[in-house]
Formats: sequence, C-alpha cells, structure tokens
Amino acid sequence: MSGTTIPAVALRRRRRDLGYWLDHERALGYMLVAPVVLLLLGLVAYPFMVAIGYALSNRTLADAGEFVGLDNFIDLFDDDIYLQTLRNTFVFTAGSVSLRLVFGVGLALLLNESFRFSRLIRAAVLLPWIVPTVLGTMAWLWMFNPNFSVINWVLVHSGLMTEGPNWLTDPDLALFCVILVNAWRGTPFMAITVLAGLQSIPQDLYDASAIDGAGKFQRFFYVTLPLVMPVLLTALVLSIIWTFSDFGIVYGLTKGGPMNATHVLATLSYQAGLAAGNIGEGAAISLTMLPMLLVLIIWQLRRIRRSTVL
Amino acid sequence: MDTPRSLTPPSSITRRSLLAATAAVPLATPAIAQNALKGTKLTILVGQFYVPENNAQLDQLAVDVAKDTGMEIHVERLAGDELGVKTAAVVATGRGADLSIGVEFDTYLYASKLADVTDLANEFGKQYGGWLDVAKQACMVGGKWKSLCIGQAPAAWNYRVDQFAAAGINKFPDTFDDLLKAAKVLHGKGTPIGMTLGHASGDGRSTNYPVLWAFGGKEFEKDGRTVALNSAETLRAVEWYKEIYQYFIPGTTAWLDPDNNQAFLAGKCSATVNVNTIYLASRAAAPTNPVMKNIMENMDHGNWPRGPAGRFASYNINTWLPFASSPNRAGQMHFLRAWFDKSFLPKWTKTGQSYFIPTFAGFDNLDVWPEDPKLKIFRELNKLNRLEGYAGPPTPSAAEAVSKYILVDMFAKACTGQLKPKAAVEWAAKEYEQIAKKHRA
Repeated sequence: MSGTTIPAVALRRRRRDLGYWLDHERALGYMLVAPVVLLLLGLVAYPFMVAIGYALSNRTLADAGEFVGLDNFIDLFDDDIYLQTLRNTFVFTAGSVSLRLVFGVGLALLLNESFRFSRLIRAAVLLPWIVPTVLGTMAWLWMFNPNFSVINWVLVHSGLMTEGPNWLTDPDLALFCVILVNAWRGTPFMAITVLAGLQSIPQDLYDASAIDGAGKFQRFFYVTLPLVMPVLLTALVLSIIWTFSDFGIVYGLTKGGPMNATHVLATLSYQAGLAAGNIGEGAAISLTMLPMLLVLIIWQLRRIRRSTVL
Repeated sequence: MDTPRSLTPPSSITRRSLLAATAAVPLATPAIAQNALKGTKLTILVGQFYVPENNAQLDQLAVDVAKDTGMEIHVERLAGDELGVKTAAVVATGRGADLSIGVEFDTYLYASKLADVTDLANEFGKQYGGWLDVAKQACMVGGKWKSLCIGQAPAAWNYRVDQFAAAGINKFPDTFDDLLKAAKVLHGKGTPIGMTLGHASGDGRSTNYPVLWAFGGKEFEKDGRTVALNSAETLRAVEWYKEIYQYFIPGTTAWLDPDNNQAFLAGKCSATVNVNTIYLASRAAAPTNPVMKNIMENMDHGNWPRGPAGRFASYNINTWLPFASSPNRAGQMHFLRAWFDKSFLPKWTKTGQSYFIPTFAGFDNLDVWPEDPKLKIFRELNKLNRLEGYAGPPTPSAAEAVSKYILVDMFAKACTGQLKPKAAVEWAAKEYEQIAKKHRA
C-alpha cells in the first residue's frame, strides 16, 4: 500500500474535475446516454404525458378545463361515429398493409432481377413514397372525381362500362379508395426494404439449393423468405404503425365522408380536437390507438432484442 | 415564415390611454398614434379572399397603416384549413399573432381568449346604420363583442336558365314542392340538379341547414342546451330530401367544396347551392373561353325556395378575432379602425362583387353593390342569414355538430338508403344529445 496521502482539499478539487468523472465507467455511461434521454424526455415523454393529461380533462382550445377521469373514453365507446371510425381504422390498416405486402414483395422480387435501366426503374419506383402526401392525394382525388374521373373516362370510352363507378360516393368503395391510395404510397417503402434484404442473400445459397434440385418456388420458400423475414417483419410493423395513424390521405380524399365511411382515428381526432375545439376528446381519440400500437412496438422490440442476443 | 414578434408591450403607455388616443385620430392624421405605435409589431393571420383584388387591398391597407404609424405589420396568408389550425394554436399558446380572421363559431369557441371590442363594435355599428342580427349572434358572447364581423358570403341557388327553360320552367322554383317537381323534370331531360351531401366544410352547411329550417326543424331550443332535432318537422325535411335525391346528379354524397362548382362549370349540373364564385369564374374566363361564356350568359342566381316554415339561408361568416394575449392591443385596435374606416370598407366591398358582404344595415344604401344584373340578388340575400344552432345561439355544441357533419350525414344516410328517414333522424338526434351532454357537463 502506498504511503502517499491526498490532502482533503485536493481530493475535493479532483472530484470536481471532468477527468475524475470520465475515469468512472458508471458515471461516464450516464453522461453518454444523458443527451438521448433528455431528447426522449423532451420530445417523446413530455408530449405523451401532456396528451394523457388532456385526455383525462375536458380541456378546450380556449379553456384549461378540469379533470374528468375516464369520462372522455367512456363517452367514446357510446358514440356510433367513434365505433364506426374504429372499425374503419382496422379495415383501413389491414387492407392497406396486405396490399403493400403483396405488391411490395412482388415488386422487390422483380427489381432484384437484372434488366436494362434497372437502377433507373428502382429509383422511379420510389416516387409515390417521395412525393408529398398532399400532392399524391390531389392526383388521386382528380382520378376519383365524381365529375371528371379519368378512370371512369377510360372505362366508359373503352366500352367496358356504360357508366363509371362512383368511387368516393359509395361508402364501401370510398373505403377501398383510401386503402388503395395508402397502399400505393406505402408499397415503394416495402419494396425497397425487401429489395435490400434480397440483395444481402449470398448467391451461394441459391447455387447450392439449385444443385440440390430446388425449383423456383422451393428456392423462394426455403431460401429467400426465411432470410428476408427479419427485414420484412420490420417493414411490416412500421407499415402497420404508419397506416394506423395515417391522416393526410383520408383527409385529402374524403375528409372522413361519405357518412363517416372513411373516417380513421387520426381524422376523427383532428375533427374533435381542432375543428370542434375539444382538445380533451381529441386527445382521448388519439390515445385509443395506443394499445394496438403498444402491442406491436413491444413485440418488435422483443424480437429485435432476441435477434441481437442470438 | 413568421416574423419575429414584439414580446414586450410598448413602454409605459396604458391600453386605455392609447385607445382614447387612437379613437380620436383618423387614419390620415395619426399624430398621437404614430408616436405610440412606432416600433411595435402586429401579426395578422388571414386566408384567401376569392376575389384576388380583395387580398391586395388588405395587403395595401397593412402597408398604409404601417407607414402612418411606424408599426411593423406582418400579414401572414394561410391556405384553406391552415388558417383555422394556426388560429387554434394562437388561442392555445397565446403566441403567434395579434389578429386573425375567424369563422362562424370561433368567437364562441375562443371567447375567453379574445379581447373585448364592444366599444369599437358600437362605434362601427353607429357609423354604418347598425349591425345585422347575424353579426351580433356571431360576435357577441355574454353581452360583449368579442370579435368584429367582416362579412358573410351569401349562398344562392346557381341555375342554368336555358336548361330550366328547356324543361318548361321559366323561373327558379319558389317553394320546396316546386323545386322537387323541377328536379324531376330536369332529371328526365338529362340535366339534373345537385346538392352537396359530402363533408364539405362550406357547402355542406349552406346547402343543408336551410332545408331543415324551411320545414320548421331546429337543432336546439332557445336555451341552446336542449336538443330539439327529433321532431316531425325534421322528419318531413329528411323525407323531402330523400325524394329529391333520386333526381340528383350522381356523386353528391362525395362532393367536397369545389365539386359542385366543377360539375356546374362542366355543364353536368343544372342547379346547385353556392356563393357567386361559379358565376365570377365563368365571367372571368368568358373573354377567352366560349364554353365559360356560354355558362356565364345562361346562368343566373335564385333565392332559396320557401318551405312550410319560411325561407332561410346559411352563409359562411368571417370575423376579426382580436387575441387578448396580444402585447400590442393598441395596434390591434388601430388596424381594426382602419379596416372599418369609410375610406376602406365600402371600396373593399364593392371590389368583392358581393362575394363577401359586411353585415351592416346601412350598407344597403351605400354604393357597394355590383352593377352586373346577375349579382343584384345578393343585396337581398345578405339579409337572410341564420346561424347554425338555431333556435339557440351558436354555442360550442352547435359548432361541434357542424364540424362533425351530423346534419349533412343525417340527410345523406336517408337519401342513400343507409337508414330509413326516421332512423336517420334518431341517429342524428342521438349524436346531438351526446354533444350537448358533453358541453352541459
């Protein structure tokens, strides 16, 4: 043991030095994660807690209101429009994500082949994803327009129909339209993500399976799909989350009409919170998305952790 | 992008002394106000008036006021729904603007965050022969003026005179029965009419509420708290709508605000409820576009038909919302005085071609009306408006019902057969009850 002693004043000074703290692994760890934690607290946790506070109050845009407990949520489940909206949101999400999955994977498989201008086409495929939502929606609105639908013009002038469908008038067809536009917008993301996964699969595996006599379908189901699955699941979960909380496409195309047939939770929340000024109700509507999204997020996080551990 | 705003009120001058100073001094000689307002800032949120010259006039007014007072004025022009969202943000945070243009219910929704402008309202009312009742309903809360009515955009029946004549109808129907008969004949001739039944924030209201009122239906009792929708009168209105709907052009349940304009201008629709923008658009395009010229020459405007309970209309209203949070209250008041000044408002109104008409009784006698004979009817229509929420005031409950399109959907559900008329009325009444219960609590 060293016989050297550090004077008390010097010790205190050293404790105040940055170097002292940097030498301690535990302290250094906290310091390194502190910026991220602060960011998360400020940008995620704080707004989230505020939203919960709003949802438990009868706050309006002009008045702070008072605590009403779960009244906003109880009222929602007695409201036909909310219940219809909840159903719509599930149908909208399931429909859109299914279409994205089918077309996204199909498109990725096509783009994974070698052909002329493949790079150019891969870039072009991203357009619906890159174009601002409102612009894409305006183009579709024009195509579904009750008066000037270009789709109907083609159907009628090609002799396929005498009169085109009323795309946004019929409640079921209107819901299909918003699903279709959402899928159109989200398919490129799915396709490019899956394409990245496909391109990371070593050619050796395909060669080996071919030598073993595997056909195209067997190669897809026993080589491609298992190896691309982690990427596919991540893209799928992100797609579900984004679609479940989508606002722009529905608001731009139908504003939730006709007769609330296309209202989703995000548009209803806007309508209640901002258009009608009932911030408490609007926040409560938004928060009812949480359980569904929370399940997905927890599942995804656990999956990521498992794959990291492995 | 927002201009940096003044965060501190102008030095030691009190609001009361400044109001007195600016009240006494007209815009042309603002000696006292100039000193008081110099160096202050004023941010004004506005939307787009349909007539472009009206926007330019507002901008020029801001420039003139800024020049006269030394106040820095920033006019922030926002498109469509953005104005409402930004206004809501200012109300919620108390920052971002000093004045904004609001719509029908905003005064009631934001009353506690708006400045009392009763003195100004009385002064302007006196100046222009008194406010119309609809302005008082829209701008007064608890006996105080919390906003100032800019004007209203009267919606009329836009109809094709030539197509009506071809169907043997020589004037626009004067009763709802006649309108139903006319719709049937026009449909048979291949020139159907159309009424907006979609989630259109403007046309959805102006088209559907007058039908309810004409049959004697009402949303609330006079207290504004008791729902009165489920009645025999409402049911009759729904049944009439269901009957006429079968003669409409297809697609009206999906119509948003621009769709009836487009259908009419494309010659696909012989009559629809709209402000005068269809006519103004065709007139503007007429010199270079023969199709538009034909529409301009062959269309006219008609008043709402009379129902069993009378003749009613519902128009979009714009108001000046003076935020109580503004650090530049004197600047607010000064700008509002300039807006309502006799050197500005009548000229602005005439330029607007009756698209937006101030709600003063005395305007009837001023030279503010367009010369065009096809726009003359708007002078009469200006006296017809009724606010949603009738027979009560325009409460937050009425506002919420409008924003949720309950009445529009009630008619649409019955018209499309999704619900029987009685069930549609009951559905809507239940929605109203839930809204009213929430606001009563």
